[in-house]
Amino acid sequence: MSDYVVRFTLRQRIEHFSVMTLFTILVITGLPQKFFDSAWAEAIILGLGGIDRIRWVHRAAGILFTGFTALHLTLLVGSVLTGTGSLSLVPTRRDFEDAIQQLRYYLGAADAPARFDRFDYRQKFEYWGLVFGAVIVIATGVVLLFPLAATRFLPGEIVPASKLAHGNEGLMAFLVVIVWHIYNAHLSPDVFPFDKTIFSGRISVERMHHEHPLEYERIKAQEE
Amino acid sequence: MLHSLFAPLLVALALQAPPQASSNADQIGMCLSCHGEPGMAVTLPSGEARSLAVDRGAFARSVHGGKLACTDCHSGMAEIPHQARPFKTRREFTIAYNEACKRCHFANYSKTLDSVHQGAVVRGDVTAPVCVDCHGSHDITPPDRPRTRISQTCAACHEGVSNTYARSVHGRALTADNNADVPTCTDCHRAHDVAGPHAPGWRLRSPELCGACHASEPMMKKYGISTEVMRTYVADFHGMTASLQKKREVEGGAVVALCIDCHGVHDIMKADEKGSAVMQANLLRTCQRCHPGATQNFSSAWLSHYEPTFDKAPMVYAVRVGYLVLIPFMIGGLVLQILLHLWRVVVNR
Repeated sequence: MSDYVVRFTLRQRIEHFSVMTLFTILVITGLPQKFFDSAWAEAIILGLGGIDRIRWVHRAAGILFTGFTALHLTLLVGSVLTGTGSLSLVPTRRDFEDAIQQLRYYLGAADAPARFDRFDYRQKFEYWGLVFGAVIVIATGVVLLFPLAATRFLPGEIVPASKLAHGNEGLMAFLVVIVWHIYNAHLSPDVFPFDKTIFSGRISVERMHHEHPLEYERIKAQEE
Repeated sequence: MLHSLFAPLLVALALQAPPQASSNADQIGMCLSCHGEPGMAVTLPSGEARSLAVDRGAFARSVHGGKLACTDCHSGMAEIPHQARPFKTRREFTIAYNEACKRCHFANYSKTLDSVHQGAVVRGDVTAPVCVDCHGSHDITPPDRPRTRISQTCAACHEGVSNTYARSVHGRALTADNNADVPTCTDCHRAHDVAGPHAPGWRLRSPELCGACHASEPMMKKYGISTEVMRTYVADFHGMTASLQKKREVEGGAVVALCIDCHGVHDIMKADEKGSAVMQANLLRTCQRCHPGATQNFSSAWLSHYEPTFDKAPMVYAVRVGYLVLIPFMIGGLVLQILLHLWRVVVNR
């Protein structure tokens, strides 16, 4: 066994990079629209060339994001149906047990941390949080982009409700990324200052052993 | 008083030179010895008759009565008979005498230079109003007494729009109740630096005109109108876009509905009144002016200036409450787990 393991394929790394870039653009052009009456938001909107322009950029980025999401989910379903995909991100009963075990360990009520497989419960939470969040912002975004079409078969109140849900879901996604993702990928003492795995695709065997012991043991068993 | 010196000097030969304090009255008396004749007139080269008669009583009752002498405005009249004047038409005569006002009323005169009327003058439109067209000449009285007089003055030229205004909620209150709060023409268009919808930035600034009264709590209280109309408008898509476009101070950008686009301008009605563009039965047609193809559901996307309460908009209310609970719960839980993790790292060391 070499000193590193390839954890992410090139496609997965490109997907992460695309989502990261689009998410940043969507947050920069989106949150100021939600908080447009505060000074910082106004400065960003006017600094980037006015409301009409940032709205255009937000919509273009949103359409791209929708495309990436649709492609990702299509490939996911396709790979599961053809049996070539991995189900390693599907939440299981074990994840809930792991979460409880982990919290007990943090609190000093358990002697050892939970032992994780390919994805731990925090990573699964973030992945599915992104997927469900994406579904909500895409659905509400479509209503906001095509209000005439949406109200042809939905009540008019769907438009202001979508506007509120779109902004709040975006705000929550932003806060989760700022608090949780930045901590886990950068600030956590386990990875500080920068967990490069999603960019290089590689994870050291030492970290594998520490963070994904079940997967490590399985790979080792297969090699022997 | 330099300008009023010539006539008294001339008159001094015929009359005993009066003391300065009564010189105005004496001079006026002398001028009116000819110009007080009701039929006095000249025929101009255009063929128009131009009355040269002055109503003594009307001048005495005017704002200038007792204050000004004839030559304060009519300079160059020292010789009798007066020198021939070069005016070919009545209008040339009027426009030339407009210059007399600015010697005292310079501030208002310079405001008129920025007016839409002056713009017409510059383009060569001799019918565009000058001071005396609105204020009168020898019979000038305060233009806003009574207040209904303001719109009547404008109506002399702007008859159509004035009739429309008179039928509006504002115009009716002005004429029927002599209401002192409702806007007359000059409250929105201003008096001397008169501007209209073609002025740069006028459209995007127009909500401020409405807000000047409709965001005023003490004034709106009298009529039982909510002052939340401005805030609920700005909180919505149209209002947010318009307020940000205005701050950018660049013309252009996507056209969005302002107050006047739904409620009308000179024809504003009460929102629940028959014929109002924003009453429920007409709302869809009003939306369709900008959103062709809109269906009945579309117009109810606008919450009619209401706060999204449980009663008025249960779906929006539910989304608001849902996220109000979800976001702190979610972020609080994640922060808690981060703190526990850090605590464990510290303890393990």
